[in-house]
Amino acid sequence: MKYSIKRIKITLLLAFSAMMILSSCNKSLEQFSGPAYVAPAGLALGDAIAAIPTDSLYYKLIVRGGLLASINNKATTFTMFVPDNIAMRSFIDLISGGATIGFTDPQYVGFINTAISASSAGSIVSYNMIPQSITMSSVPGTFPNWVYPTNLNPTSGAGFNPLVRLTTSPSTRNGNWVNNVPLSAVNMAAANGIIHTAAAVPVPPSKVLWQRIASDPDLTIFTAAISRADSGVAPVSSASLIWALSNFGPNLNVFAPSNLAFKQLISALTGGAIPVIAPDAVFIGFLGSNNVNTLTVKFIVVYHLMGARAFTNNFPTTPTSYPTLLNGGIPAHPGVSLTVTFTGGVVTAATVKGVGNLSASNIAINPFPDPFGTSDQHFINGTLHKINQVLLPQ
Amino acid sequence: MRKVTSYLVTFLLANVLAISAFSQNVTISGNVRNGSTKEGAGAVSVTIKGSESGTFTDDKGNFKLSVKSLPVTLLISSVGYELQEVTVSKASELVQVEFKSSSSLGQEVVVSASRVPQKILESPVSIERISAATIRNSPAASFYDAVLTLKGVDITTSSLTFKTPTTRGFNSSGNTRFNQLVDGMDNQAPGLNFSVGAIIGLSELDVDNMELLSGASSALYGPGGMNGTLLMTSKNPFKYQGFSFLVKEGMMHTDGRQRPISPYHNWNVRWAKKIGEKFAIKINAELIQAKDWQGADYRDYNRAATGGNVKAGSRATDPNYDGINVYGDETTVEIRSAVLNAIGASAAPFLKNFIDTLNHGAAINVSRTGYTEKEVTNPNTVNFKLGGSLHYKLNTFTEAVLAAYWGTGNTVYTGSERYSLKDFKMGQYKLELNSRYWSLRAYTTQENAGESYNTTVATRLLNESWRASGGATGWFSGYSQNYLAQRLLGLTDSAAHALARAAMDVGRPLATSSQFRNSFDSLRKRPISLGGALLLDKSDLYSLDGSYNFSHLSSKLGGVEVLVGGNYRQYVLNSEGTLFADSAGRININEYGGFVQLSRHIFERVKLTASGRYDKNQNFDGRFTPRVTAVIKLAENNNVRLSYQTAYRFPSNQQQFINLSIGSNVRLIGGNNSFRTFFNFAGKPLYDFESLRKGVISGYTSVDLKPESLSSFEAGYKGLLLEGKLLIDMYGYFGQYKDFLGRRVMVQSLTGAPIVLADTANGYRYSLPVNSSDKVKTYGFGLSVDYRLPWNFTIGANIASDILKDVPANFVAYFNSPKYKGNVTIGNSGFGPAKRLGFNVAYRYQGAFLYQGDFATGNLPVVQTLDAQFSVKLPSTKSVIKIGANNLLNQYYYNAVGNSQVGGLYYLSFGYNIY
Repeated sequence: MKYSIKRIKITLLLAFSAMMILSSCNKSLEQFSGPAYVAPAGLALGDAIAAIPTDSLYYKLIVRGGLLASINNKATTFTMFVPDNIAMRSFIDLISGGATIGFTDPQYVGFINTAISASSAGSIVSYNMIPQSITMSSVPGTFPNWVYPTNLNPTSGAGFNPLVRLTTSPSTRNGNWVNNVPLSAVNMAAANGIIHTAAAVPVPPSKVLWQRIASDPDLTIFTAAISRADSGVAPVSSASLIWALSNFGPNLNVFAPSNLAFKQLISALTGGAIPVIAPDAVFIGFLGSNNVNTLTVKFIVVYHLMGARAFTNNFPTTPTSYPTLLNGGIPAHPGVSLTVTFTGGVVTAATVKGVGNLSASNIAINPFPDPFGTSDQHFINGTLHKINQVLLPQ
Repeated sequence: MRKVTSYLVTFLLANVLAISAFSQNVTISGNVRNGSTKEGAGAVSVTIKGSESGTFTDDKGNFKLSVKSLPVTLLISSVGYELQEVTVSKASELVQVEFKSSSSLGQEVVVSASRVPQKILESPVSIERISAATIRNSPAASFYDAVLTLKGVDITTSSLTFKTPTTRGFNSSGNTRFNQLVDGMDNQAPGLNFSVGAIIGLSELDVDNMELLSGASSALYGPGGMNGTLLMTSKNPFKYQGFSFLVKEGMMHTDGRQRPISPYHNWNVRWAKKIGEKFAIKINAELIQAKDWQGADYRDYNRAATGGNVKAGSRATDPNYDGINVYGDETTVEIRSAVLNAIGASAAPFLKNFIDTLNHGAAINVSRTGYTEKEVTNPNTVNFKLGGSLHYKLNTFTEAVLAAYWGTGNTVYTGSERYSLKDFKMGQYKLELNSRYWSLRAYTTQENAGESYNTTVATRLLNESWRASGGATGWFSGYSQNYLAQRLLGLTDSAAHALARAAMDVGRPLATSSQFRNSFDSLRKRPISLGGALLLDKSDLYSLDGSYNFSHLSSKLGGVEVLVGGNYRQYVLNSEGTLFADSAGRININEYGGFVQLSRHIFERVKLTASGRYDKNQNFDGRFTPRVTAVIKLAENNNVRLSYQTAYRFPSNQQQFINLSIGSNVRLIGGNNSFRTFFNFAGKPLYDFESLRKGVISGYTSVDLKPESLSSFEAGYKGLLLEGKLLIDMYGYFGQYKDFLGRRVMVQSLTGAPIVLADTANGYRYSLPVNSSDKVKTYGFGLSVDYRLPWNFTIGANIASDILKDVPANFVAYFNSPKYKGNVTIGNSGFGPAKRLGFNVAYRYQGAFLYQGDFATGNLPVVQTLDAQFSVKLPSTKSVIKIGANNLLNQYYYNAVGNSQVGGLYYLSFGYNIY
């Protein structure tokens, strides 16, 4: 009996030992699950655009530009401004000089595939792609415009810089816009981005402001005024106005007084000694003479420049003052007063008024692309609007 | 003072030089052997009944003893065996004694509980003992690990050879609330104030016993020991003689998870010889060599301050990844404010609006790419210990001991960072006089950090030396531009970060390359104060202590037994500015103290003991710490113990003088007044960091640090039941900390301007020691049961709980103890044929808890480990062959966040002449 009890005790002991062994398993370390990457579901941007019947021509432009694969890459995220077929047809009619008016869509497609080079098509599409998903609700309604890099890099070869981008300006002030193009539909989600439908084709700028200013025969006196303002400044210096107007990087808005505007001002300043009807060269000579000092000219010139591009569709609908580059030297200066008038959703009038002007200067509304237009002229480094008065800072 | 000194010298000379003139002219000899195994029993006490004369058996069980005349009665005793009396009438008669194993538990005698020998069952405070026999039968690969099986013990494993035990909470790699004494010498590293465990000190073969006092013990052992004291005692060469060795060969990393399978070597050798009756010598050495366990916690860590936390993320998903055991990635920059905004403001204004939208406008924190611990620490852990002592009996009662303990090696220690201790050396040297009633001990501890280095600092500097973080062409500038370029291409944030990192890490030296090695070696060998990572700690400790036991005069003192003692210590901090604020010169810290203990039986069954101690540190006011205990004898071998104890500790040398940047813009500083002036806290005031993070500005005024104290009440019971086969020990305690020492993180404006919320990122952060004005409470219990089963089987189980309450908010207490922990052991020290076989299985459970450390804080999961051994004795050669395993199931665990993850260690050992 005693032996049996001993055996029972030892058996229990061994069973207990086995239990110890079986229970000796440790948990792994406490882990915290992070945001795992999940490939987005749904159609990628390219396929989503293809599925929109009213955007079929732009889809062909994407294909022509060789960008379909990258747009469909779900590992990348873009926001695309997609001109609808109406906009595409108008655009093609414009660049064809009217030769395509009346074409059927297949004919437009044929034009895209033959008359528009792949690089041009790629540039247009790249210009209308911006990185990240940007819904219009996230675009501020502030003025001047938001400036956002596009997918279009103007550098190449040895000078290639991956950070250089042409910019576009989406905005939500006075409606939804990209540059001065209204957006007819917004925030269509694709798997890897957002699609906004544009009512016209936003065309990438190919020139800088100075190219327009220096070549516009109606801006020769303004050109002379800028040159006078720059006298004594090294032309390659960033302090140079011409340098800023000639290079990629600065972001400016220019109110460019027409020659007539300068003539009227100078004639008035000289008490009519120089009549308005005098040749341009007389006024250019006046600006280059000792009759005016450089600083005065510079003050007037920089008063015509804003430190950000500004499309008229984003101007305030009630007169509001904004700073100019003059505020760089005179911070307290009230700047210029801007206003815009819409009729049927279209800009029909816009003005800018200097502090020293008795009345507002009118912007000549004509958004036709450079070199033909006079308002919302879009360049690599800014916007330009022709005005009919010289703005006076005081 | 001079008069006192002269009295002291006279007193010592009187004792030391009073060489006994015994005329002992009859020599008897004999042999003691184990009745079961028939092997000679060494280290058995042989004393003459009615006197204090006696000797010990040698390693073969033989003894010789001179007596005045015959007949005499010899008392032959050893722990675990029944006491035997033998009467010797003839000198020519060889005394033959066969020992019988005692069937009763709890027969051990302990010294540390009251600093006088007493039966463990009658101890007035909680105490546990590990004998050499326990170590022999333990499955632990290291004798030190056997402590783990005692109830209430927590352990922090920094690496294979750097383990820190404690009781009653506050466990960490550098635990300053738990004392460890080796042969009476404080085993702390003088510079760091915490015990270095088994790295130096005793080798396994030289351990006679270890006694663990749970709970406050300052009243007898001085400052520190708030939570407990571990006393390790070596074998006296008069008692333990002969040559013995122990070779353990094992293997680790058997699953290849951390490294390829690698060997474990642990060799011990000991030789001791009694030469004549007065002189004895011993020499011992131990070598451990292995490929260490690794800190392999690669989880992402938010190192915002000392109270950080583990967070979601990995190197692939978090650009600001800071892996716990990945170094160099502590260098972090918010690239939006540091780089991107400047690009948008001037270099590329057309990107400004785009930059503003990145990461939804929030901060973009990026860290440098780091290297894993495996890549920056020496994989070879080596520990070599050499010790020896000369013992000379000045008279029958007085023994002089000259001893040295020296250790060196490579290991890894976790402090505010992971430190690779390379060629670390520490020596302890003592001269001691032990007499029947008094003892006097002088010793010094000499520390040399060797080529020890801060792995984090070394790796961050390596990154800087390869490619600087800052500047226009620096790593972060390039990273930011690459990141921006990838985002412009429409890539997701994580993909852009990954490509930017890949671009900037092109050419980054691999840890295996000579480029890496040359650069890393150069940096780790350069002192921190000179822009490197080398720790130059050569701090020393000098100590003198003594005691006198007046118990022989108790009859003249009304039955009161009196014990007095005192000590003097001097710390000499010498880190040359690499750890302490001692770049201008060494810092000396002096401490002294004394104690008195009175004990008396007030009734037949009640013994009261009262003790008090006064200590003074030159930087703090003196402190008196009393202790009152009562032992109530309920029945024979059944006692209830009650105690009120106080303990305290002066702020450690680190808490007083550390001055160490730990990355992420946080500097650990000491509480000494000099820091306030140096860092201009008056001109640039401090604010509470955690409050500021929550948007609340809460100022902080520096106040003088005070010693921390603990008052503890404890009740316990220890008793033998079931005819001595069942030993029960239990205790419950309640304690209250006053002026509790912890750390808080403060923030200072860099400019002295009024603090703003942004200063949580921009300001300078200090982690500084502070006293809590609140009274922090602690309570807990412990229960152990040991039962002797038939056929020499034994089973033991224990459970303990420690809880800390009322810790103030924003206060890092570092309590680090699970609510419950326990052990179950099953063993048999002799069964089978001729009782040659033995085994032991030990299961340990540690509950989950929040581990708080300066290096990392996080939740630890439940840990369960199983150790086991099976042994075979070879009596003819007094040898033991043992096969054993620590963490038998190879279930990796760690007991501190960021520390090494410990897997299975399997060994085969052969021990010769083990007793």
